[in-house]
Amino acid sequence: MSGTGRKRVRSSALGLFLAAALLLTSAGCGDLSNDELNRGVESLSALAGQGQLVANGVARDATKATYARVMARTLGETADHEAEKLADATLEEAETEDQRHAAVAVAAEISALLSELQTFPGDEHHGELVEKHLAEAQEKADAIVAQLSGDAP
Amino acid sequence: MKVILKIALGIIAAIGGFLDIGDLVFNTQAGALFRYDLLWAVVLGTIGIAVYAEMSGRVAAVSGRPVFDVIRMRMGFGLGLVALIASTAVNLLTVAAELGGIAIVLELLLDAPYSMFVVTGAIALVAIVALLPFGGIERFFGYGGLVLFVVVATVFHQNPDWGAVAHGFVPSLDSSTLYLYFVVGVFAAALMPYEVHFYSSGAIEEGWSEENLKENRLNAILGYGIGGVLSVALVIVSGYLFHPIGVEPSDLGTVALPMQGAFGETGLLLALGGILFCVGGAAIDSSFAASYNLAQFLGWEWGRYKGPRKAPRFTASWLVFLLLGIAIAQSGINPVEITEYSVVFSVVALPLTYLPVLLIAGDRSFMSEYANGRIAATLGWLYFAVIVVLSLAAIPLLLATNGGGG
Repeated sequence: MSGTGRKRVRSSALGLFLAAALLLTSAGCGDLSNDELNRGVESLSALAGQGQLVANGVARDATKATYARVMARTLGETADHEAEKLADATLEEAETEDQRHAAVAVAAEISALLSELQTFPGDEHHGELVEKHLAEAQEKADAIVAQLSGDAP
Repeated sequence: MKVILKIALGIIAAIGGFLDIGDLVFNTQAGALFRYDLLWAVVLGTIGIAVYAEMSGRVAAVSGRPVFDVIRMRMGFGLGLVALIASTAVNLLTVAAELGGIAIVLELLLDAPYSMFVVTGAIALVAIVALLPFGGIERFFGYGGLVLFVVVATVFHQNPDWGAVAHGFVPSLDSSTLYLYFVVGVFAAALMPYEVHFYSSGAIEEGWSEENLKENRLNAILGYGIGGVLSVALVIVSGYLFHPIGVEPSDLGTVALPMQGAFGETGLLLALGGILFCVGGAAIDSSFAASYNLAQFLGWEWGRYKGPRKAPRFTASWLVFLLLGIAIAQSGINPVEITEYSVVFSVVALPLTYLPVLLIAGDRSFMSEYANGRIAATLGWLYFAVIVVLSLAAIPLLLATNGGGG
């Protein structure tokens, strides 16, 4: 192959690479559809459910403190990440703005509760309170999902 | 009496060594999302691995040739190389996922940084491999994994709706792509290619011959069969506890929650201990499988029984695979995500692994009176058809469901 030919192949390969990189980096940065918002809030509900089970172990003195602490930390980080994702995205449908704000608030609430569990993984009283409040947070998340899917009363 | 004891010990090791991080993750998620609806897929996968493990063990015992030798012999260099590249990529991802799994469990037990445990976990594996003989390694992880029977005890403690559980064993086809994705995932997690690579090479390591064929059959049928019971139990406990409250398990630690719910701290510790032995054993199996394949394909001396002096390239490649696994596990990608990708991509490599085994095991000129009988041949071809369909569907389903994210 000639030098020019090699250069052309190289520049096309570079172009392809850059296009692929642009596509990959832009993935997830687009507008948030109603479905994606719905899924985000559903995953918050799932996190709250998981947190309740961990907190229940603490409340019953039926767990190991390190396990409760690490699980609370991991779930809390996921809630933070979900909150950032929901807060940063642009909505495809402007009329769901209220639900988005409510979802960010629920994510922050779940994160704060899990942070409390992380701080007191051996305290039964805290475990009981966190479990109760996480159940309330899950109800709020479920209510947002119902609104988004048009099932709300 | 000695023979019966040996067979029993082999079966016990197979039961404990059956589950890996792929089974733990996919079965728990399947239960959480679809309650008991995917139990039939677990049974389908368990029978499949028993059928092919029996065949690969039989071929190894009769011919002295492990699976990758057979692949190269039957498919030639070109297709053999494709199979080698595909299975090495999947095995490497599996090693990384299992090392990540070890680190997660140690982090949950000791609350120190995950990255530290990836390295210390790998060092512990190297020490175990250096100190124990081949059979000892299998038994160490196999017997340790048996504490996961706490999952079966949890099923009885939960006392689920047994009618609904029984209904889950009847195959049903939901049209949702997520359901189909999990059918592929649960089935593939049971049939990971490294399992037969390791099983057949292990038969050579332990010096099996025609005399061990009964042992091979019982190990494959009872060992994998009872191991499948653990998988079924994981789906049930997850379906019972997680499904009603909408929990989507995204972390290995979540797998232990039902046992904590049933038996408190003791249940939790038994579950975490069992998971640790299972993922530790699978890290050894998958890293060994990667170096077995490479050595057998390139015609190197291989085998744990030969030691580093007689099989230096095999030993060095094993250490390299372990180091690469550490690097991937340290990259910051969640081991559960690595697991999902390794399981789904493994489906694509399945036909290249299982077709040569099926052809050789049925070849009377090669296996003489030990060739596949009618039942083994029928099951083998039926399963191969299922494998081909799933391997074609795996990647489209992975993309359509956003990696199982729905």
